[in-house]
Amino acid sequence: MSSSPRAAEAPVAEEDTPSSLDESAVESISRGAPSWLSERRRHAWSVFEDTPLPSTRSEEWRYTDVSRVVDFADLRLAPDGMPAENGSRPAGLTAAMEEDLAASGHAVLVDGNVVHVDLDPALEEQGVILTSLRTAVNEHVGLLEELLATEVLPPEEGKFQALNAALWSDGVLLYVPPNVKLDLPVRATRWLSHAGSAVFARTLIVAEPGSQVSYVEELLSEDFDKRTLVSSAVEVVARDGAQIQYVSVQRLGRGVFCQSAQRTLAHRDSKLDTLNVNLGASVTRLDLNAQLLGAGAHSEMLGLYFGDQDQHFDHNTSQDHVAPDTGSDLLYKGALDDRAQAAFRGIIRVHPDAQRTDAYQTNRNLLLSDECRANSLPNLEIQADDVKCSHGATVGQLDSEALFYLLSRGLSREQAERLVVLGFLGDVMARLPLGGVVEKVTRAIERKLEHV
Amino acid sequence: MPENELVEGLGLDEYQYGFIDDEAHVFRTRPGLSEEVVRQISKHKEEPEWMLEFRLKALKIYESKPMPTWGGDLSDLEATLDEIYFYVKPQDQMERSWDDVPSNIKNTFERLGIPEAEQKLLAGVGAQYESEMVYHSLKEEWASKGVIFDSIEDGLKNHPEIFREHFATVIPAADNKFAALNSAVWSGGSFVYVPKGVELETPLQAYFRVNQERMGQFERTMIIMEEGSQAHYIEGCTAPVYSTDSFHSGVIEIILKKDSRFRYTTIQNWSNNMYNLVTQRAVVNENATMEWLDGNLGSKLTMKYPSCYLVGEGAHGDIMSIAYASDGQHQDTGGKVVHVAPNTTSSITSKSISKGNGRSSYRGLCKVYEGANNARSNVECDALLINATARTDTYPYIEIEEKQATVGHEATVSRIGDTQLFYLMSRGLTKEEAMALIVRGFIEPIAKELPLEYAVELNRLIELEMEGSVG
Repeated sequence: MSSSPRAAEAPVAEEDTPSSLDESAVESISRGAPSWLSERRRHAWSVFEDTPLPSTRSEEWRYTDVSRVVDFADLRLAPDGMPAENGSRPAGLTAAMEEDLAASGHAVLVDGNVVHVDLDPALEEQGVILTSLRTAVNEHVGLLEELLATEVLPPEEGKFQALNAALWSDGVLLYVPPNVKLDLPVRATRWLSHAGSAVFARTLIVAEPGSQVSYVEELLSEDFDKRTLVSSAVEVVARDGAQIQYVSVQRLGRGVFCQSAQRTLAHRDSKLDTLNVNLGASVTRLDLNAQLLGAGAHSEMLGLYFGDQDQHFDHNTSQDHVAPDTGSDLLYKGALDDRAQAAFRGIIRVHPDAQRTDAYQTNRNLLLSDECRANSLPNLEIQADDVKCSHGATVGQLDSEALFYLLSRGLSREQAERLVVLGFLGDVMARLPLGGVVEKVTRAIERKLEHV
Repeated sequence: MPENELVEGLGLDEYQYGFIDDEAHVFRTRPGLSEEVVRQISKHKEEPEWMLEFRLKALKIYESKPMPTWGGDLSDLEATLDEIYFYVKPQDQMERSWDDVPSNIKNTFERLGIPEAEQKLLAGVGAQYESEMVYHSLKEEWASKGVIFDSIEDGLKNHPEIFREHFATVIPAADNKFAALNSAVWSGGSFVYVPKGVELETPLQAYFRVNQERMGQFERTMIIMEEGSQAHYIEGCTAPVYSTDSFHSGVIEIILKKDSRFRYTTIQNWSNNMYNLVTQRAVVNENATMEWLDGNLGSKLTMKYPSCYLVGEGAHGDIMSIAYASDGQHQDTGGKVVHVAPNTTSSITSKSISKGNGRSSYRGLCKVYEGANNARSNVECDALLINATARTDTYPYIEIEEKQATVGHEATVSRIGDTQLFYLMSRGLTKEEAMALIVRGFIEPIAKELPLEYAVELNRLIELEMEGSVG
């Protein structure tokens, strides 16, 4: 691993002085990289500089005042390498990994950099690629040049997307060749160790025609007393007839602003499902866009969040039906306690040619305290006439009948309330029952419920 | 008949009342807006000093606020505003009886299908011809009950205390850009005051008509319902077709005191070159009930979101709306309910029909503030698309700060189903009849709430279009 790239430019600085988020950081990350990549980073940086910080005056950021969440001048890029002095892994990280043994492959990232990758040799033989983006930049140039931070999730998408495209340090490439089917999920664990740092990572998943894969990533950290940024860019491409399940479980510590931009491209007859579980971090912002590009494509979009204390969640989703005969079904459910806040803004866009679209969108919120707050904006924009579209949003309290029933069966009020909350959130996971994920998420929710 | 031609016929396109009266004005300002114009309006109306100050302040607010970037396309509006006349006064004297109403205005009413006999049956008719009330009568029995139904100007002159106490309290000038504009140049509109305990069975009606090319209309209506009173106000408007854009920006303020009940019905059928940007809001106190019934059929672009601020315990708000967007039209309409007090309830029901390249958007807000225990709100939006080029959007905002609240929103989008058509045609209906029946059935839940004459007119309009589509 190289030392901090900033050192060469600032001779007075010590070897491991962390780099600010500025143009020189872009230059030093680009050093030694292929020219197409450096150009892409420089372009992204110029987009970042030209894009104003989103304000609550803009519809998409109406419920999150990002100027109070992040201060780019305060943040430093996380240093490379393992955090612990002896190179051993933090307990929280190893604990999470031990639960993930059944897998087709693993990737471990610390502070945005891949520190470990393994893949079932049988799959490797069939041409499956699981590697770090740093490696892929040299070994899988064609794929990255075509798809990374350009066509799928270009920097023009927004301020944070541009910043990530300029400053990403590493990430994961998962490639599945035609007709190869992975029985077990690929698991990625992302650990964050430096308070006050900014981490930029990317994920690129490409499933060729007829292939099948599921990818589960988990984001973890301790609690921090300094504002810390975790930025993710996730690009997922399902070619004709491919099947992809993408799952993200976010259990970051307090003090973290978790910003994630995800886009999924579903081609003809493909099935591309996502599940975003957000339980941790102080502030979470998710921008998820699903593109239904080929006839017969279908996307299930699931989300689950549970906030307590002063946690803030902002989910911004969109479903673009571009081709005819496509379907999408979104369900985001959340429970809020203490002073937690959640915002959901979703939009179904049916483009003029997308006849026979079948699209749904539902957001349900459960309010458990007097001070929590939920905002919901389920939008529709329909430009074709032969469609089936509907959306719904609800905000409500614990179902008193269910509570009463459980109390009458001898449960304590506390137990009954926990059961009702678990039941409320649980039906999201029931729709994407991936081995290991359900148990893990249920345990995490139960731990949070103990404080209720 | 090919499907395309058939669906082209289904709509309310041809503007039925596209006739123009000769213009006979006494006074009008120069086109465009300036402090001078505002001073002239105020001077011409012989207003008290505080109103002039209010207008000038509002003008400053208007100039300082940017054009909204959401909603409809307002990019051509600024140029339009430079060309319109902000004030036109057609006659010097307010009319006292029906016989004194000029014959050209009577003609207008007759062509609108409102016979003189029916006019007289209506309890009080404030007919707005261009920018001001020209005809105003109020049944004696109501006068004896203390009900005031005046032009807004007379309200200011004759009831200065009630007027000043309530004016701009529901919608302050700074509320939004167009409320500020209206506050600066308002002219015409109604002033309604219903005293404590008075129940009016016959609706109050006002007819609106914009008649001069490039003329803006900035009506301002203020309605005060005292404790336990009940009334229904109906406003309908049609306008002749002109080639250049026209502009209408009204402000409607309604105050419902304890236990009162009020319904406001609007049917808007402006011609398709009209910008119709209206702010209408009701403040609803303890156990009072406010109902908005809103029909938007005409205009080029309408942005209108009737609101209920439920500030008293047990207050209830109801918003029912129908939007119809045909070629070149954008109906950006909806409703707002704001729950401030405990045990408040509200419901919004919206039905929209889009045809040709028309676009109808539902935009609504349901907000529950902390402390509004047991607030309940339900929002339902249904959209019907007549053909493939039509567009519909739904933008509901739901903002909840209170745990003990139950809020739901649902929306569906559909088109006229082949199986529905097939069934009706197998029962002997022509395709046109079947489509008309389906459209009527779709809007029926709201149409049935309309006063009979409006419901009949709405049905007739749909049937007329069906006739046009036959052969």
